[in-house]
Amino acid sequence: MSHAPLPVHLNPDLKSIADGSRVQGVWQLAAGYRWPYMGAGVALAVSTLARTASLFLIQYFIDDFLTQGDRTYGLWLIALGFVLLAALQGGFTFISSALSAHTAESITRQLRNFLLDHIQRLRFAYHDETPTGELIQRASSDVDALRRFYAIEFVESSRILFLFIINFTAIYWLNAQLAWISIIVIPIILLISVYFFRIISRAYEAYQEQEAVLTTRLQENLTGVRVVKAFARQSFEEAKFEEANLGRFQRGKHLLLMHSLYWPVTDVLCGIQMLVGYGVGALMAINGTITVGAYLAYAGMLLMVIWPMRNLGRLVVEMSRGLVSFDRVAEIVRQIREPMTEAGFTPPTHLAGELVFENVGFAYGATPAKVLSPAAIAAAHKAAAAQAAATISGSQEQPTVHGNDGLHDNPRDNLHDNLHSSNGSNSRAPGGNGAAAPSKPAPSHTVALSDISFTVKPGQRVALLGATGAGKTTLVNLLPRFYDYTGGRILLDGRELTEYSRDYLRSQIGIVEQEPFLFSRTIRDNITFSVGRDVPQEQIEEAAKAAAIHDVILTKLPQGYDTLIGERGTTLSGGQKQRVAIARTLLKDPRILILDDSTSAVDTETEASIRDALERLMQNRTTFIIAHRIQSVMDADLILVMNKGRIVQAGTHDDLIRQPGMYQRIYAAQTRIENELQKELNRVESA
Amino acid sequence: MSNPLEFEEEEFTTQFNGHTLKRILSLTIPHWPLLVGFLLLICGAAFLDSLFTYLSKRLIDEGIVARDPVALREILTIYGSFILVQALSVFGFIYMAGILGERIRYELRQQLFAHLQKLTLSYYNRTPVGWIMSRLTSDTDRLAELVTWGLLDSAWAIFNIATAIGFMLYINAPLAIIVSLVVPVIVVVAIQFKQRIIVEYRKVRKINSQITGHYNETITGVRVIKALGREESNLAEFGALTGNMYRASFRAAWLSALFLPTVQLISAVGVGIVIWYSGWQITNVNFLGTTLTVGGIQAFITYVTFMLWPVQEIARIYAEMQQAIASGERIFSLIDAQPEIVDRPGATDPGTLRGDIVFDNVEFYYEADSPVLSNFNLRVNQGETLALVGPTGGGKSTIVNLVCRFFEPKSGEIRINGTDYTQLTQHAIQSRIGVVLQTPHLFSGTIRENIRYGRLDASDAEIEDAAKTVGAHEFILALDKGYAEEVGEGGSLLSVGQKQLISLARAVLANPDIFIMDEATSSVDTLTEALIQQGMEVLMQGRTSFVIAHRLSTIRNADRILVIENGHISEMGTHSELLRLHGHYYRLYTQQFRKELEREYDPFAANDVPITSPAPTTSPAPTTA
Repeated sequence: MSHAPLPVHLNPDLKSIADGSRVQGVWQLAAGYRWPYMGAGVALAVSTLARTASLFLIQYFIDDFLTQGDRTYGLWLIALGFVLLAALQGGFTFISSALSAHTAESITRQLRNFLLDHIQRLRFAYHDETPTGELIQRASSDVDALRRFYAIEFVESSRILFLFIINFTAIYWLNAQLAWISIIVIPIILLISVYFFRIISRAYEAYQEQEAVLTTRLQENLTGVRVVKAFARQSFEEAKFEEANLGRFQRGKHLLLMHSLYWPVTDVLCGIQMLVGYGVGALMAINGTITVGAYLAYAGMLLMVIWPMRNLGRLVVEMSRGLVSFDRVAEIVRQIREPMTEAGFTPPTHLAGELVFENVGFAYGATPAKVLSPAAIAAAHKAAAAQAAATISGSQEQPTVHGNDGLHDNPRDNLHDNLHSSNGSNSRAPGGNGAAAPSKPAPSHTVALSDISFTVKPGQRVALLGATGAGKTTLVNLLPRFYDYTGGRILLDGRELTEYSRDYLRSQIGIVEQEPFLFSRTIRDNITFSVGRDVPQEQIEEAAKAAAIHDVILTKLPQGYDTLIGERGTTLSGGQKQRVAIARTLLKDPRILILDDSTSAVDTETEASIRDALERLMQNRTTFIIAHRIQSVMDADLILVMNKGRIVQAGTHDDLIRQPGMYQRIYAAQTRIENELQKELNRVESA
Repeated sequence: MSNPLEFEEEEFTTQFNGHTLKRILSLTIPHWPLLVGFLLLICGAAFLDSLFTYLSKRLIDEGIVARDPVALREILTIYGSFILVQALSVFGFIYMAGILGERIRYELRQQLFAHLQKLTLSYYNRTPVGWIMSRLTSDTDRLAELVTWGLLDSAWAIFNIATAIGFMLYINAPLAIIVSLVVPVIVVVAIQFKQRIIVEYRKVRKINSQITGHYNETITGVRVIKALGREESNLAEFGALTGNMYRASFRAAWLSALFLPTVQLISAVGVGIVIWYSGWQITNVNFLGTTLTVGGIQAFITYVTFMLWPVQEIARIYAEMQQAIASGERIFSLIDAQPEIVDRPGATDPGTLRGDIVFDNVEFYYEADSPVLSNFNLRVNQGETLALVGPTGGGKSTIVNLVCRFFEPKSGEIRINGTDYTQLTQHAIQSRIGVVLQTPHLFSGTIRENIRYGRLDASDAEIEDAAKTVGAHEFILALDKGYAEEVGEGGSLLSVGQKQLISLARAVLANPDIFIMDEATSSVDTLTEALIQQGMEVLMQGRTSFVIAHRLSTIRNADRILVIENGHISEMGTHSELLRLHGHYYRLYTQQFRKELEREYDPFAANDVPITSPAPTTSPAPTTA
């Protein structure tokens, strides 16, 4: 352990754990901590030896000291020897436990860090397909199962094996015949314990499932308390709960019966083995084959050979579950990361922000236009296959948390809608236990954009107008290379976009979403989130003022800039969140801006202040606006009307207003609304 | 609202609360035969454990040392039969204690759940769902553990030590007295250790939940992290967290690892004393007139060596008991919470709620210093439809909650058909009010089951009629399994519009006297909206209806519109009356008018999401702490 401030404990080589078999993987995972772990094993052996040695000391005491009157060593020396052996045993047990804890906790720490880093660097497509709960479960409970594998299960099994080997050898050394007689029952005990614990572990799963049913009923009752009360359905609810509760009671009883059978049955088996050993040993002692002291030592060793075996079955079953967890973790590790850098890329001194789209196309699930090496393609196939397998195996697991996607209008939804409208069938999530949104592997090719061509000069505003699923979000997602286009090309300042590193692009692009994702930390942290350095308070306040959120922070929030927001703190309204996101983007000062302009969720006053803030944000930046209303596109330099992944109309407001087409219809509708409102009001007035 | 700290999970009372412990133990009284049964069996088992050691002593002394194979066989036979007896008692106590534990879990949950059904909405408003859930899950588990395995293990431990000392006294009293002195030392050391270890593991659990939280945020916010290029600093923060985790877990682990060797060492000192004493006694004059045989020495060594296990159990239970008592306190605080609305003595059921509803000088507040409604007066005629409009927090929901008697006025009266409604039973009121909430809540199960919630004895045909009435029948039939389709947890497999239609059908089936609807603000597609509109109209016919309205058509069709602001009626009248005022209503209306028509004239409407669209993928995350 080092107390110096270390960089994050991260072993980038962990990728290799997913290459070989499970056993190889488990060994790989321990890289860097194998010596302490082996040290733990050695210490365990020493401590077991010391324990057996103390039995030999008793033999010496009885045979040599008491019976034969050998006074080579004084009485106090023997007593002290006993205490010393105990100290040795205890000391090495401690060393072994501390070393294995160090190993297991370090491995877990390294794995957790690796997984978090890996997850946040995986491709967008992966996140689109993988339910949040599934990922969290793998990163938390499966990692914990692995921790238990290293910390408890493997160590405990080794302890039992050491106890067996050392004591068996000791008995063998006393008398070979006796040794073989002492272990007759052991294979039977092992078989029974593995058999029983497999059943018990299944019964336990059934018990846990019922517990989940009970919890769901309870939660639904509590969250639906208004409905229950409104329909006065209290007694109905009680009956429903009782049914689940009773089910749990019965499964608990079943589980209990298993346990109450296993332990006495093995008790009797071990007891018989013990008696056989005692009997044969005693007869040998009476015959003089072994000494009385040897019998006493043997009696002690016999206990250590037999009884621990009952737990080995449990450990074997648990270890096999630990390996299943390993597979589930390895499946994530196998996924390909998004490369953040590009070979041969040097950031330009200044990015003007000119963008040219030439026949750009994009299909989900297709290979990006940029050619991948054959090896990478093979790896991707392998990963996809593994993922499909994991989806099946993981389907029984209940994700515990279901998250928000962050970007509201995200491509998965669009994709979903496209799929839906194309086949018209009712593709609803399959049953299961509810909360899970199923992992939906994208069909190999789903065309989301085609023939997109347009040019934006530095500092210009482009407005994208179209229905949900028309491809607006998909188009802007190509800019920070969240996805790489699969046809045509995009030029940024004359250079193909794929030549730019993702790192660089994302540092130059700012995104303000419709429903911005804020982190459960302070307002200050959320505003400075994009900067990665300490920002002076004046600068933060300046950004907040420009985003029209400064006054809200000072007057409405209990701890001002230090107010914790989110689940554990203050909840912000949609408009407030959006303005925090604007402040965050102002501080980032990007060259290119992507705005998801929806002010539908906020009231009129806020709408005006957000509009002002956005106006300030857009100045001198190439801006893409995902627009929902005509007002926000009117002064754009270029309006792209999109439908089904294509640009159907392009031009300025003045151009488009004169062309027959979608834009005209939208505009006409707007005027119609005002006319109708006036008509309605007039009618009321005159009535 | 109340102090959030009140609902912190890991709060433990440091004081030993004897009263709570007594109350916890009293849970077993109804099942005393099981309790007595397993306690007797465990004491028998503890006695047998000690007896086996004594039999081993006799085996050595009378069999081996005396070279008597007959005695040997005899002792082994006794030993063997007691092993069988032991196995039977093990079966018995595991089963009995286990059953007792399951029963207590079961009963506590039933009791808590039934009590929860009686509690008033105000209790739910100030108590997080996750907090309540933990009371019914982990806390009941802890109590059940304490009164079963806790009692069992401590009975075993105490009886085991007692019988071991008894046998030692029988074998050699002076030595027994000397080695017994080791016991209290081990107990004190063990308890000290266990308490510290528990504190360490509590820290580990806390950090662990932070780690899970960080994962959650990283995964749900991964797009933002990528967009903002936060990968490095995010990892650094997480690294600090896992570093803390490493240190806390390592500390907890080595502290635990130190415990056993320390206790073992103390007992080894005891064994050392045995060896020294016995050697001294044999080599010197027979001091106290007792001899220690070889078997006796062996028995002493075994008793002393194995004594640390019962002691360790006692220490563990003692440490865990504090947690169990804290759990008990929280459970009892829930059981002792009194419902704020109870039926008055002599409350009646008038058989119908038809009639005028009068708010007479009603005052209401959730917290005494901030009134929500004051001097509120309103008369609603039988069969009238009221639209409530106005800003959020103005008091619209409060009025509706008061009508449902989820809350009662703090002062003033609400009269239904001339009777103060507190003179009626809650059931009389709530069973005759149909409510459709803004965020419709469905229960796991089929669509049919969910509609039937409105009237439990409704036939399938009646259910379908109700669905037809609100126009839900078509979309239900379009689903794979029709009415037998599962709706998912909280209805998560259906869209908001579909859920709303089902909750309308549910209300239709209930055939209420009063209808209450909180219109959804979230947008549903035009077709669904039309269906909802039509369903509402059916429900409002001939019934006194309160609608928290957002849609123009609902507002326009109401008999009377109330603009509620700051707990008062700021404007009241028909649509045209209010428009002419050019006041709040005028502004609300024109704003809404533009919004709705914009949607209506949306040129992309052809691509509008049809009603059978997939459900939105958001569902409430379990709120378990």
